[in-house]
Amino acid sequence: MPRLASENGSDDRLDREHVRQTFAAFVRDRDPGLRDELVLAHVKLVRYLAVRFANRGESIEDLIQVGTVGLIKAIDRFDIERGVEFTTYATPTIVGEMKRHFRDKGWAVKVPRRLQELNLAVNRAVERLSIELGRAATVADLAKELGASDEEIIEAQELGQAYNLLSLDSEVTSDGDLKTASLMDYVGTEDVELRLLEDKANLQRAFEVLDPRERIIVYLRFYENVSQAEIASRLHVSQMHISRLQARALEKLRRFLKVE
Amino acid sequence: MRQPLIPDMPDAGRGRAAVGLRIPALPEWVGVARLATAGIASRSGFSIEDIEDLKLAVAEACNCCIQNPGSGDVEIECVVDDRAIAITVQRAGANGGGPQSVTNDISPDAGGLGEFLIRALMDDVTYAFDRAAGTKLVMTRSLRT
Repeated sequence: MPRLASENGSDDRLDREHVRQTFAAFVRDRDPGLRDELVLAHVKLVRYLAVRFANRGESIEDLIQVGTVGLIKAIDRFDIERGVEFTTYATPTIVGEMKRHFRDKGWAVKVPRRLQELNLAVNRAVERLSIELGRAATVADLAKELGASDEEIIEAQELGQAYNLLSLDSEVTSDGDLKTASLMDYVGTEDVELRLLEDKANLQRAFEVLDPRERIIVYLRFYENVSQAEIASRLHVSQMHISRLQARALEKLRRFLKVE
Repeated sequence: MRQPLIPDMPDAGRGRAAVGLRIPALPEWVGVARLATAGIASRSGFSIEDIEDLKLAVAEACNCCIQNPGSGDVEIECVVDDRAIAITVQRAGANGGGPQSVTNDISPDAGGLGEFLIRALMDDVTYAFDRAAGTKLVMTRSLRT
């Protein structure tokens, strides 16, 4: 089994004891130098874990980087009083950090695509190699050609089909239904009317802040499309005055709707 | 042959199936265990991310069995239903003793870094190693919906 420190038993114990003492001192003093020392003492753990997650479509360097962030978090939060080995505590934190990284990167889409691309590459390579070799290509031939492991080739062949992405235009049929529909037909759209309904309701309440005269002006101007001059003559005031009242009314509405 | 590797999971869900695999205790065979695990787990509706975790855990468990002193093949048994997967990975001890007698759970750090990783990936893990009796890991993970 890979060990954190050396394979030699007594050295191992010495290293562990040293790490324990360093932790005790760090928890006490919070000395950044000790923290650096602890990070360096556990970089091997991060590398070990990064290598194991490397086949999920991220570079080892990136994984070591996010894993080290996890390691630093674990060092800062580690409580020596709880009596657990640091590695026990740190491993889930580092793994968690790496997994979060995959999730943030849209990992769920990425792996199928990796397999899918490999699936396509395998299919192309099978044809090419068969001609070049004058015999059917083996998994080992394909792995060498594509720079992948045997396992990945088999997986890509076996599972590649299952991960095919569906086109939005692909037909969706149900039994006994002669009419075919595409997947696109089932994708919802935003209902514009619904938005208008909401706006209307808001506006209705906003109107209550206007006095009766302002309400009439806004109504005539914007709902009945009556000109300011026409409104002025109907209300027996100057057009200038209507203009001022309208501006004030709109300002009131704006302020009310902004607060809402 | 011998008694089943895993006793029936208590309170088993629907679609229960047990699949066993025996591979030579050599690193180049671990990939086969990974592939088999992926196939079995995918039938139970585990997500792709979960399946990657399960494959990793099985590979680490196989490595554990291969690197510990032991004899004979590595045996892998997966029991799945619609709610969980239980995987047992084991290998007989150095003098051919049966792993069934391995009962001590000498966690948490007896298995090296691989065991830490398995514990980080699976819900529940028991690891047992005895020079004479062999290595045995039992790990379970439930299906999160």
